[in-house]
Amino acid sequence: MSLDQNTPEAPREQSFKKGFLLAVKAIASLRLTVSLFVLSFFLVFVGTLAQVENPTWTVVTDYFRSLVVWVPNQLLARFCQTFRWISPTAQWPGGFFFPGGWTLGSLLLINLLAAHLMKFQLSWRRSGILLIHAGLILLMVSELVTGLFAVEGNMTIEQGGAANYLELRETSGFLGKINGPELAFSDPSNPDKENVTVIPNRILRQGGKISHPALPCDVEVISYMANSTLKEIDPESPEAKSNPASKGDGLQFKGVDKKEMSGTAKDQKVDIPSAYIQLKDKATGQSLGTYLVSLWLSLSTVKQTQEVTLADGKKLDLALRFKRAYKPYTVELLEFKHEVYLGTTKPRNFSSRVKLLAEQPDDSRETLISMNNPLRHAGETFYQSGFLPGDKGTILQVVRNPGWLIPYFSCFLAALGMLIHFGQHLNSFLAKRRG
Amino acid sequence: MIASKPSWLAPLITVAIAFAYLGYAASPKADPADGFHFQEFASLPVVDGGRVKPMDTFARVSLMVINDGVQSYQDEKKVSQPAVKWLLEVMTSRFVENPVAENLKVFRIENDQLLGFLGLSQRPGLRYSINEIASKFKVLEERAIAAERKDPDKLDALDKSVIQLAKHLQIHIDIATHRAPLLIPANGDWKPFMQAAMESRAEERPDPAVNSFGKILMAFGDGKPKEFNAALADYQSQIEGKIPPQQRISGLEVSFNHFSPLSQCIYLYVVVFLLTCVGWVSWRESLNSAAFWLAVATFMLHTCALSVRMYMQGRPPVTNLYSSAVFIGWGCVLGALVLEYLYANGIGNLKAAITGALTLLIANHLAGEGDTLEMMQAVLDTNFWLATHVTCITLGYTATFLAGFLGIFYILRGTFTPFQTPEAGKSLIRMTYGVLCFAIFFSFVGTVLGGIWADQSWGRFWGWDPKENGAMLIVIWNALILHARWGGLARDRGIALLAVVGNMVTGWSWFGTNQLGVGLHAYGFNDTLANGLTWFWASQLGVLALGLIPTRNWWSNQVQTAEAGKQIKPGMRKA
Repeated sequence: MSLDQNTPEAPREQSFKKGFLLAVKAIASLRLTVSLFVLSFFLVFVGTLAQVENPTWTVVTDYFRSLVVWVPNQLLARFCQTFRWISPTAQWPGGFFFPGGWTLGSLLLINLLAAHLMKFQLSWRRSGILLIHAGLILLMVSELVTGLFAVEGNMTIEQGGAANYLELRETSGFLGKINGPELAFSDPSNPDKENVTVIPNRILRQGGKISHPALPCDVEVISYMANSTLKEIDPESPEAKSNPASKGDGLQFKGVDKKEMSGTAKDQKVDIPSAYIQLKDKATGQSLGTYLVSLWLSLSTVKQTQEVTLADGKKLDLALRFKRAYKPYTVELLEFKHEVYLGTTKPRNFSSRVKLLAEQPDDSRETLISMNNPLRHAGETFYQSGFLPGDKGTILQVVRNPGWLIPYFSCFLAALGMLIHFGQHLNSFLAKRRG
Repeated sequence: MIASKPSWLAPLITVAIAFAYLGYAASPKADPADGFHFQEFASLPVVDGGRVKPMDTFARVSLMVINDGVQSYQDEKKVSQPAVKWLLEVMTSRFVENPVAENLKVFRIENDQLLGFLGLSQRPGLRYSINEIASKFKVLEERAIAAERKDPDKLDALDKSVIQLAKHLQIHIDIATHRAPLLIPANGDWKPFMQAAMESRAEERPDPAVNSFGKILMAFGDGKPKEFNAALADYQSQIEGKIPPQQRISGLEVSFNHFSPLSQCIYLYVVVFLLTCVGWVSWRESLNSAAFWLAVATFMLHTCALSVRMYMQGRPPVTNLYSSAVFIGWGCVLGALVLEYLYANGIGNLKAAITGALTLLIANHLAGEGDTLEMMQAVLDTNFWLATHVTCITLGYTATFLAGFLGIFYILRGTFTPFQTPEAGKSLIRMTYGVLCFAIFFSFVGTVLGGIWADQSWGRFWGWDPKENGAMLIVIWNALILHARWGGLARDRGIALLAVVGNMVTGWSWFGTNQLGVGLHAYGFNDTLANGLTWFWASQLGVLALGLIPTRNWWSNQVQTAEAGKQIKPGMRKA
């Protein structure tokens, strides 16, 4: 292009056109496709290795739903260590930047669209390729829709009980980690309706003093532990004297800071945060006591909350718990079944017979949710995901993904496209043999 | 077709011999009239690992686990004996103080440190008896408990061997003390002999089946075949009515175990290989044709074995790593035979023989870990998705491997032999291309179907799980090869090289991702697999290095150039 500009005979416009065409050609070229395949291949590979050290959702956010990612060299060392090629203690410092999933995906999409624009023609010979690529574009769109809009939550229901809310655990969305546990004050005086005020996790993490008109009292975060364990306190030990907690469960347990979870996804480990908080009367600033709040406590099957007494004598329930999303419908658990194989403890099937009480009475129904057989209602899908210890209840995973149907179409399109395209190849090959 | 007129004789004779051999191998061994009816005993039903199976399978699997993959053992006189006899020796070792089992050298211990620790010296076969270990039982137990408590990442080779030996000893102890298997039926429920005996004693009307089983063991311990057979017949009639119809088993599995059709396939594929190799040197037509028809016959046996396994399990072909190897082998052989049918150049035969034998050897090795007809995890308990997703993915692996082997063949034939004419090379790459089209179709459809299954079972179409990523890598790699060809970036040699890399990628997806021990598809870490994969990759890198030698230096090309030089005389050769 620069050569053209220096040539006096070449009109500026024409050289621009030429350059533009060259650029489009480059963007649409198969050379670029192949290069992007190589980069994608490497990204998926290191994204797999990264899961050895980090939880899957962190990797998905960092590697696949990102523009650019920092890849530590240690990952490659880890790969070599897996096969005992190098010493298990070897450290490879440093790392490098690499294009992330959003970047490579968009580039592939642009490359694909440009290629089709360049030589677009509707013909029987090219119909297979068109279908395959339409299917692939849909697949990328579906991953984008999932990344942007899908929400996952859990619904825990005890045997014979009912639930009308989801617990939102940490998930990786486009906006990063959004759903850490929150601090909730609930008013137990009306058993039919839960009246709750919550402090979101992001504010808790910042620490310091939290005041808000909606809160029943001021909250001072003394320490926040992103991941923790609880230890029972021996009342005789010196530990008991230095205990920051002055009331509630904190007298019995001590919160111990733990490294944030980076384990393998084998048993779906989640960070379990705890915090020491001091409650203060809004008017006088007088301390109402220092409490230990912990997700461990609200996950316990005995008692999920601790009682707090305000200055005016009003009693509230306090808990650090998963963010809840209340729903217009209720799910009742009629029966949870945990079947095992003959003479073993190996699970054969989990199933929950539930009654759905929908907002429209016509939609209400009784149904069986089991492995591979979800219940779909109001854009949400309920899957059998786990159970409470001792089979005392069921845990359903509830997912809202507006794009859930797209992969079905895309698979169909691409498969059909390949059948047509390769079928044509095979046909001409066989014809050549015959002829 | 391959067979020209006079050469039908060679394939006919070859296949006839093969059938005669198979008929001999399949013929059931009858129990001697006045000896122990071991075959009869082997057919008794027991419950282990969640299913009703014949005693024979239980015996073979237990022995195989402690004995490193071998389903028989040598008695004191160094005579090979069936697994079920070993089981009886162990079952009677405490019950009637039969000393034989504890002197049998069936525990394989490979780790030299552990041998030193136990005060044993290395001997050929590395197999040891309980009595040789007995004095160190206590310390061994302590070490095993300590090792179990360690972080799994920090276990050294000695720790692992200690844990393994402890597990193997536990198998022996459970059988000797009659805690396993569950064998006395009671209205749909099954009890181990020890428990049933104690419960029976406490009741007013003792269970006659318990009594008879006790007699079987005593008669074996005393070496009295007559009593053994009589008690066995009694026992059979007593349990007959107590087993609900859905828990009945037929004699099929015992016959299958005895015939072991997949091992027979390995032998026959090796014969196909030898025939093909000799065919390259002389009697080309007849031997090639014989190899082809023998491969077809073996493939039929392979198919039967696969079908019988599917029938016994009531499942689609692939349910675990073992069955994936059997199925990949089956697919590779089928693909290779189709290629041989189309091209009739002996390459398909070679491919069928090598891939068939190799995959079945891998399967054989994987079988050493336990019952290959094991029960499925709850989420996998769905025939529909096993039939669609798993089968497609496995066919995708198969086709990618097949393309890779064609690539290897292209490189090796070009560099090491003078036979690769430009036309032959082109035709080989056309084959590779066709196979790659199959590969990307099945791996893509299989991967997306897996996503749809995941959406059905936990609401996530794509979870970026390592095994899913592995499948995606295969799709990307195949797409890369095809696009590189369409874009003219890779020509014949390039396709061959890339297809060989495809082998490495598939190796990673099939076994490598499991080594990471992450995710829903992880089946556990295994040192042997890790080493196997390392060697496999090294071999593929070796082939790649050969392939990167400039083509003008390939033997085939030098010969072609030389011949072309000789032949180019005016008027002699048309362009």
